[in-house]
Amino acid sequence: MHLTDHVTDDQLNEYLDNESAERTQIESHLVICDGCAARLTALKTLFAEIESLPEIELTHNFAARFTPTPSLPPQLPRWLTLTATLQAALALVTVILAAPFIANLLPAIEIPSLTDIFLQMQSQWTAWLNALSTLRFDSWQAFQLPTLPQIPALEFSSLFIALTLAGVSMLWLVGNGLLLRNQMK
Amino acid sequence: MTAPTDRDLIIRARRGATGGDAFGELVTRYQTGVFNVCYRMLHERGAAEDLAQETFMRAYDRLHTFDLEREFGPWIRRVAANLCLNHLEAQKATAPLDEERDADESQKPEKQVEVKERSAQVRNALASLPPQYRAVVELRHYQEMSYDEIAAELNIPLSDVKSHLFRARKILAEQLHASD
Repeated sequence: MHLTDHVTDDQLNEYLDNESAERTQIESHLVICDGCAARLTALKTLFAEIESLPEIELTHNFAARFTPTPSLPPQLPRWLTLTATLQAALALVTVILAAPFIANLLPAIEIPSLTDIFLQMQSQWTAWLNALSTLRFDSWQAFQLPTLPQIPALEFSSLFIALTLAGVSMLWLVGNGLLLRNQMK
Repeated sequence: MTAPTDRDLIIRARRGATGGDAFGELVTRYQTGVFNVCYRMLHERGAAEDLAQETFMRAYDRLHTFDLEREFGPWIRRVAANLCLNHLEAQKATAPLDEERDADESQKPEKQVEVKERSAQVRNALASLPPQYRAVVELRHYQEMSYDEIAAELNIPLSDVKSHLFRARKILAEQLHASD
Protein backbone atom coordinates (compact mmCIF):
# COMPACT_ATOMS: atom_id res chain seq x y z
CA MET A 1 0.00 0.00 0.00
CA HIS A 2 1.22 3.50 -0.80
CA LEU A 3 1.44 6.27 1.76
CA THR A 4 -1.34 8.25 0.08
CA ASP A 5 -3.74 5.31 -0.24
CA HIS A 6 -6.64 5.51 2.17
CA VAL A 7 -7.03 2.66 4.59
CA THR A 8 -10.04 0.42 3.88
CA ASP A 9 -12.49 -0.69 6.59
CA ASP A 10 -11.14 -4.22 6.40
CA GLN A 11 -7.57 -2.95 6.83
CA LEU A 12 -8.62 -0.87 9.84
CA ASN A 13 -10.34 -3.87 11.40
CA GLU A 14 -7.31 -6.07 10.87
CA TYR A 15 -5.04 -3.33 12.21
CA LEU A 16 -7.01 -3.01 15.44
CA ASP A 17 -7.22 -6.79 15.76
CA ASN A 18 -3.42 -7.01 15.48
CA GLU A 19 -3.84 -9.21 12.45
CA SER A 20 -2.49 -6.82 9.81
CA ALA A 21 0.73 -7.43 7.89
CA GLU A 22 0.80 -3.73 6.87
CA ARG A 23 0.97 -2.08 10.24
CA THR A 24 3.83 0.24 9.43
CA GLN A 25 2.26 1.51 6.20
CA ILE A 26 -1.13 1.98 7.88
CA GLU A 27 0.37 3.93 10.77
CA SER A 28 2.31 6.13 8.37
CA HIS A 29 -0.89 6.93 6.48
CA LEU A 30 -2.89 7.62 9.64
CA VAL A 31 -0.40 10.32 10.62
CA ILE A 32 -1.13 12.31 7.47
CA CYS A 33 -4.85 11.49 6.95
CA ASP A 34 -7.39 12.93 9.39
CA GLY A 35 -10.28 11.11 7.73
CA CYS A 36 -8.77 7.63 8.20
CA ALA A 37 -7.62 8.59 11.72
CA ALA A 38 -11.20 9.58 12.58
CA ARG A 39 -12.51 6.26 11.25
CA LEU A 40 -9.94 4.46 13.35
CA THR A 41 -11.05 6.37 16.45
CA ALA A 42 -14.69 5.51 15.78
CA LEU A 43 -13.81 1.84 15.43
CA LYS A 44 -11.79 1.96 18.64
CA THR A 45 -14.80 3.46 20.41
CA LEU A 46 -16.98 0.63 19.12
CA PHE A 47 -14.47 -1.94 20.36
CA ALA A 48 -14.47 -0.29 23.77
CA GLU A 49 -18.27 -0.29 23.92
CA ILE A 50 -18.49 -3.95 23.01
CA GLU A 51 -15.79 -4.98 25.45
CA SER A 52 -16.99 -2.85 28.34
CA LEU A 53 -20.21 -4.83 28.62
CA PRO A 54 -20.43 -5.67 32.31
CA GLU A 55 -20.73 -9.25 33.49
CA ILE A 56 -24.07 -10.44 34.79
CA GLU A 57 -24.04 -12.11 38.19
CA LEU A 58 -25.30 -15.64 38.55
CA THR A 59 -28.30 -16.12 40.80
CA HIS A 60 -27.36 -19.63 41.81
CA ASN A 61 -24.34 -21.85 42.06
CA PHE A 62 -23.84 -24.51 39.40
CA ALA A 63 -21.07 -26.11 41.41
CA ALA A 64 -23.56 -27.69 43.80
CA ARG A 65 -24.79 -29.90 40.96
CA PHE A 66 -21.33 -31.26 40.41
CA THR A 67 -20.27 -31.62 44.03
CA PRO A 68 -21.12 -35.09 45.30
CA THR A 69 -22.95 -35.56 48.57
CA PRO A 70 -20.55 -35.97 51.50
CA SER A 71 -18.85 -39.32 51.34
CA LEU A 72 -20.15 -42.06 53.59
CA PRO A 73 -18.63 -42.15 57.06
CA PRO A 74 -16.03 -44.85 57.63
CA GLN A 75 -17.30 -48.33 58.36
CA LEU A 76 -18.10 -49.21 61.95
CA PRO A 77 -15.30 -50.84 63.91
CA ARG A 78 -15.20 -54.60 63.52
CA TRP A 79 -15.84 -55.20 67.22
CA LEU A 80 -19.01 -53.15 67.05
CA THR A 81 -20.26 -54.97 63.99
CA LEU A 82 -19.58 -58.33 65.65
CA THR A 83 -21.29 -57.19 68.84
CA ALA A 84 -24.35 -56.07 66.95
CA THR A 85 -24.48 -59.35 65.04
CA LEU A 86 -24.05 -61.32 68.25
CA GLN A 87 -26.78 -59.41 70.03
CA ALA A 88 -29.09 -60.00 67.10
CA ALA A 89 -28.38 -63.75 67.31
CA LEU A 90 -28.90 -63.71 71.07
CA ALA A 91 -32.15 -61.86 70.64
CA LEU A 92 -33.33 -64.48 68.18
CA VAL A 93 -32.41 -67.34 70.56
CA THR A 94 -34.13 -65.50 73.39
CA VAL A 95 -37.31 -65.11 71.41
CA ILE A 96 -37.29 -68.84 70.53
CA LEU A 97 -36.74 -69.82 74.15
CA ALA A 98 -39.42 -67.43 75.25
CA ALA A 99 -41.95 -68.90 72.83
CA PRO A 100 -43.41 -71.48 75.31
CA PHE A 101 -43.82 -68.80 77.93
CA ILE A 102 -45.42 -66.55 75.40
CA ALA A 103 -47.76 -69.40 74.52
CA ASN A 104 -48.79 -69.60 78.17
CA LEU A 105 -49.25 -65.86 78.33
CA LEU A 106 -51.19 -65.53 75.14
CA PRO A 107 -54.47 -66.96 76.50
CA ALA A 108 -54.25 -64.49 79.33
CA ILE A 109 -54.15 -61.65 76.86
CA GLU A 110 -56.95 -63.25 74.88
CA ILE A 111 -55.39 -64.18 71.59
CA PRO A 112 -56.67 -67.76 71.46
CA SER A 113 -56.34 -68.18 67.75
CA LEU A 114 -52.57 -67.74 67.80
CA THR A 115 -52.25 -70.14 70.72
CA ASP A 116 -54.36 -72.68 68.94
CA ILE A 117 -52.15 -72.46 65.89
CA PHE A 118 -49.05 -72.91 68.01
CA LEU A 119 -50.53 -75.88 69.86
CA GLN A 120 -51.69 -77.47 66.65
CA MET A 121 -48.23 -77.14 65.19
CA GLN A 122 -46.77 -78.62 68.35
CA SER A 123 -49.13 -81.58 68.32
CA GLN A 124 -48.57 -82.08 64.60
CA TRP A 125 -44.84 -82.13 65.16
CA THR A 126 -45.27 -84.69 67.95
CA ALA A 127 -47.42 -86.82 65.68
CA TRP A 128 -44.72 -86.76 63.00
CA LEU A 129 -42.09 -87.74 65.51
CA ASN A 130 -44.24 -90.64 66.71
CA ALA A 131 -44.83 -91.78 63.17
CA LEU A 132 -41.13 -91.70 62.41
CA SER A 133 -40.26 -93.61 65.56
CA THR A 134 -42.47 -96.51 64.47
CA LEU A 135 -40.72 -96.96 61.12
CA ARG A 136 -38.84 -100.24 60.82
CA PHE A 137 -36.48 -101.55 58.17
CA ASP A 138 -35.65 -105.16 57.51
CA SER A 139 -31.92 -104.92 57.93
CA TRP A 140 -31.94 -102.10 60.43
CA GLN A 141 -32.99 -101.90 63.97
CA ALA A 142 -35.79 -99.65 65.04
CA PHE A 143 -35.00 -96.06 64.25
CA GLN A 144 -34.76 -94.03 67.42
CA LEU A 145 -35.11 -90.33 67.26
CA PRO A 146 -33.15 -88.39 69.82
CA THR A 147 -35.37 -86.97 72.45
CA LEU A 148 -35.41 -83.28 73.17
CA PRO A 149 -33.83 -82.32 76.47
CA GLN A 150 -36.24 -81.48 79.20
CA ILE A 151 -36.50 -77.79 79.92
CA PRO A 152 -36.09 -77.21 83.63
CA ALA A 153 -39.20 -75.85 85.24
CA LEU A 154 -38.15 -72.31 85.82
CA GLU A 155 -40.59 -69.82 87.15
CA PHE A 156 -40.67 -66.45 85.48
CA SER A 157 -43.11 -63.75 86.24
CA SER A 158 -44.98 -62.12 83.38
CA LEU A 159 -43.33 -58.81 84.21
CA PHE A 160 -39.87 -60.37 83.99
CA ILE A 161 -40.64 -61.90 80.60
CA ALA A 162 -42.16 -58.69 79.30
CA LEU A 163 -39.14 -56.67 80.43
CA THR A 164 -36.77 -59.22 78.92
CA LEU A 165 -38.56 -59.11 75.60
CA ALA A 166 -38.64 -55.32 75.65
CA GLY A 167 -34.91 -55.19 76.45
CA VAL A 168 -34.05 -57.66 73.70
CA SER A 169 -36.18 -55.71 71.24
CA MET A 170 -34.40 -52.50 72.17
CA LEU A 171 -31.02 -54.17 71.72
CA TRP A 172 -32.15 -55.47 68.37
CA LEU A 173 -33.29 -52.06 67.20
CA VAL A 174 -30.19 -50.25 68.46
CA GLY A 175 -27.86 -52.86 66.99
CA ASN A 176 -29.50 -52.78 63.60
CA GLY A 177 -29.68 -49.02 63.72
CA LEU A 178 -25.92 -48.89 64.17
CA LEU A 179 -25.37 -51.34 61.34
CA LEU A 180 -27.68 -49.50 58.98
CA ARG A 181 -26.42 -46.03 59.86
CA ASN A 182 -24.09 -45.89 56.85
CA GLN A 183 -26.80 -46.84 54.40
CA MET A 184 -29.30 -44.34 55.82
CA LYS A 185 -27.08 -41.31 55.11
CA MET B 1 -1.75 -22.91 51.95
CA THR B 2 -2.01 -22.00 48.26
CA ALA B 3 -5.12 -22.80 46.28
CA PRO B 4 -4.80 -25.73 43.87
CA THR B 5 -4.21 -24.83 40.24
CA ASP B 6 -6.73 -25.68 37.55
CA ARG B 7 -4.38 -28.43 36.41
CA ASP B 8 -4.34 -29.98 39.91
CA LEU B 9 -8.12 -29.86 40.06
CA ILE B 10 -8.49 -31.49 36.65
CA ILE B 11 -6.14 -34.30 37.63
CA ARG B 12 -8.09 -34.84 40.86
CA ALA B 13 -11.41 -34.65 39.03
CA ARG B 14 -10.25 -37.38 36.65
CA ARG B 15 -9.66 -39.76 39.54
CA GLY B 16 -13.38 -40.29 39.84
CA ALA B 17 -14.48 -41.12 43.38
CA THR B 18 -13.31 -37.86 44.94
CA GLY B 19 -13.31 -35.98 41.66
CA GLY B 20 -16.66 -34.30 42.16
CA ASP B 21 -15.30 -31.88 44.72
CA ALA B 22 -12.41 -30.90 42.46
CA PHE B 23 -14.68 -30.38 39.48
CA GLY B 24 -17.09 -28.44 41.68
CA GLU B 25 -14.22 -26.08 42.49
CA LEU B 26 -13.50 -25.63 38.78
CA VAL B 27 -17.18 -24.87 38.19
CA THR B 28 -17.12 -22.30 40.98
CA ARG B 29 -14.11 -20.61 39.40
CA TYR B 30 -15.50 -20.38 35.88
CA GLN B 31 -19.28 -20.44 36.17
CA THR B 32 -19.74 -16.67 35.99
CA GLY B 33 -17.51 -16.37 32.92
CA VAL B 34 -19.21 -19.27 31.19
CA PHE B 35 -22.65 -17.97 32.05
CA ASN B 36 -21.77 -14.56 30.61
CA VAL B 37 -20.57 -16.13 27.37
CA CYS B 38 -23.94 -17.85 27.13
CA TYR B 39 -25.83 -14.73 28.10
CA ARG B 40 -24.05 -12.59 25.51
CA MET B 41 -24.79 -15.19 22.87
CA LEU B 42 -28.37 -16.03 23.85
CA HIS B 43 -29.63 -12.88 25.60
CA GLU B 44 -32.00 -14.87 27.76
CA ARG B 45 -31.15 -15.75 31.33
CA GLY B 46 -32.96 -19.10 31.56
CA ALA B 47 -31.47 -20.41 28.34
CA ALA B 48 -28.06 -19.03 29.27
CA GLU B 49 -28.15 -20.86 32.60
CA ASP B 50 -29.22 -24.08 30.93
CA LEU B 51 -26.46 -23.85 28.35
CA ALA B 52 -23.87 -22.91 30.98
CA GLN B 53 -24.78 -25.99 32.94
CA GLU B 54 -24.72 -28.08 29.79
CA THR B 55 -21.25 -26.70 29.09
CA PHE B 56 -19.94 -27.95 32.43
CA MET B 57 -21.61 -31.32 31.95
CA ARG B 58 -19.93 -31.69 28.56
CA ALA B 59 -16.64 -30.60 30.05
CA TYR B 60 -16.97 -33.17 32.82
CA ASP B 61 -17.67 -35.92 30.31
CA ARG B 62 -14.66 -34.93 28.21
CA LEU B 63 -12.31 -34.21 31.05
CA HIS B 64 -10.25 -37.34 30.42
CA THR B 65 -9.44 -36.08 26.91
CA PHE B 66 -8.56 -32.54 28.02
CA ASP B 67 -4.98 -31.55 27.18
CA LEU B 68 -3.40 -30.52 30.47
CA GLU B 69 -1.03 -28.19 28.66
CA ARG B 70 -3.96 -25.98 27.67
CA GLU B 71 -5.68 -23.48 29.90
CA PHE B 72 -9.01 -24.61 31.26
CA GLY B 73 -10.70 -21.17 31.36
CA PRO B 74 -10.38 -20.27 27.68
CA TRP B 75 -11.21 -23.85 26.72
CA ILE B 76 -14.45 -24.01 28.69
CA ARG B 77 -15.52 -20.60 27.37
CA ARG B 78 -14.94 -21.78 23.82
CA VAL B 79 -17.01 -24.91 24.53
CA ALA B 80 -19.76 -22.62 25.81
CA ALA B 81 -19.62 -20.39 22.72
CA ASN B 82 -19.84 -23.39 20.43
CA LEU B 83 -22.75 -24.87 22.36
CA CYS B 84 -24.60 -21.57 22.17
CA LEU B 85 -23.95 -21.25 18.46
CA ASN B 86 -25.34 -24.74 17.89
CA HIS B 87 -28.32 -23.87 20.05
CA LEU B 88 -28.98 -20.66 18.12
CA GLU B 89 -28.66 -22.32 14.75
CA ALA B 90 -31.04 -25.05 15.89
CA GLN B 91 -33.55 -22.51 17.10
CA LYS B 92 -33.23 -19.89 14.37
CA ALA B 93 -35.19 -17.53 16.53
CA THR B 94 -34.24 -14.69 18.79
CA ALA B 95 -35.59 -14.78 22.30
CA PRO B 96 -36.64 -11.49 23.86
CA LEU B 97 -33.88 -9.71 25.70
CA ASP B 98 -33.92 -10.04 29.44
CA GLU B 99 -33.93 -7.01 31.65
CA GLU B 100 -30.77 -7.30 33.66
CA ARG B 101 -28.93 -5.06 36.04
CA ASP B 102 -25.80 -4.09 34.20
CA ALA B 103 -25.00 -1.03 36.24
CA ASP B 104 -22.27 -1.10 38.86
CA GLU B 105 -23.97 -0.61 42.23
CA SER B 106 -21.04 1.43 43.52
CA GLN B 107 -21.66 4.16 40.93
CA LYS B 108 -23.91 7.17 41.36
CA PRO B 109 -27.58 6.58 40.47
CA GLU B 110 -27.44 8.76 37.31
CA LYS B 111 -24.30 6.98 36.15
CA GLN B 112 -25.85 3.59 36.94
CA VAL B 113 -28.85 4.41 34.77
CA GLU B 114 -26.59 5.60 31.96
CA VAL B 115 -24.43 2.47 32.08
CA LYS B 116 -27.48 0.26 32.28
CA GLU B 117 -29.07 1.91 29.27
CA ARG B 118 -25.90 1.73 27.19
CA SER B 119 -25.35 -1.91 28.17
CA ALA B 120 -28.90 -2.71 27.15
CA GLN B 121 -28.29 -1.04 23.79
CA VAL B 122 -25.11 -3.05 23.23
CA ARG B 123 -26.86 -6.27 24.24
CA ASN B 124 -29.80 -5.48 21.97
CA ALA B 125 -27.42 -4.79 19.11
CA LEU B 126 -25.58 -8.07 19.77
CA ALA B 127 -28.89 -9.90 19.93
CA SER B 128 -29.81 -8.61 16.49
CA LEU B 129 -26.76 -10.27 14.89
CA PRO B 130 -27.03 -13.58 13.04
CA PRO B 131 -25.75 -16.49 15.15
CA GLN B 132 -22.48 -16.91 13.23
CA TYR B 133 -21.69 -13.20 13.61
CA ARG B 134 -22.44 -13.36 17.33
CA ALA B 135 -20.11 -16.30 17.73
CA VAL B 136 -17.27 -14.55 15.94
CA VAL B 137 -17.75 -11.36 17.98
CA GLU B 138 -17.83 -13.41 21.18
CA LEU B 139 -14.63 -15.27 20.36
CA ARG B 140 -12.78 -12.19 19.14
CA HIS B 141 -13.86 -9.52 21.61
CA TYR B 142 -14.56 -11.49 24.76
CA GLN B 143 -12.27 -14.44 24.39
CA GLU B 144 -9.51 -12.61 22.52
CA MET B 145 -8.92 -15.32 19.99
CA SER B 146 -7.01 -14.72 16.77
CA TYR B 147 -8.62 -15.06 13.35
CA ASP B 148 -6.92 -18.41 12.84
CA GLU B 149 -8.06 -19.71 16.20
CA ILE B 150 -11.65 -18.64 15.50
CA ALA B 151 -11.56 -20.31 12.11
CA ALA B 152 -10.34 -23.53 13.71
CA GLU B 153 -12.83 -23.32 16.55
CA LEU B 154 -15.85 -22.71 14.35
CA ASN B 155 -14.54 -24.85 11.52
CA ILE B 156 -15.01 -22.11 8.94
CA PRO B 157 -12.57 -20.52 6.43
CA LEU B 158 -10.42 -17.60 7.54
CA SER B 159 -12.12 -15.39 4.95
CA ASP B 160 -15.49 -16.12 6.60
CA VAL B 161 -14.11 -15.16 9.98
CA LYS B 162 -13.05 -11.79 8.65
CA SER B 163 -16.22 -11.10 6.73
CA HIS B 164 -18.47 -12.17 9.64
CA LEU B 165 -16.50 -10.06 12.08
CA PHE B 166 -16.30 -6.93 9.95
CA ARG B 167 -19.96 -7.09 8.97
CA ALA B 168 -20.97 -7.70 12.57
CA ARG B 169 -19.05 -4.62 13.65
CA LYS B 170 -20.65 -2.57 10.93
CA ILE B 171 -24.13 -3.64 12.05
CA LEU B 172 -23.26 -2.95 15.68
CA ALA B 173 -21.91 0.50 14.85
CA GLU B 174 -25.02 1.38 12.85
CA GLN B 175 -27.37 0.20 15.58
CA LEU B 176 -25.49 1.91 18.39
CA HIS B 177 -25.12 5.19 16.52
CA ALA B 178 -28.75 5.09 15.49
CA SER B 179 -29.73 4.85 19.14
CA ASP B 180 -27.54 7.84 20.14
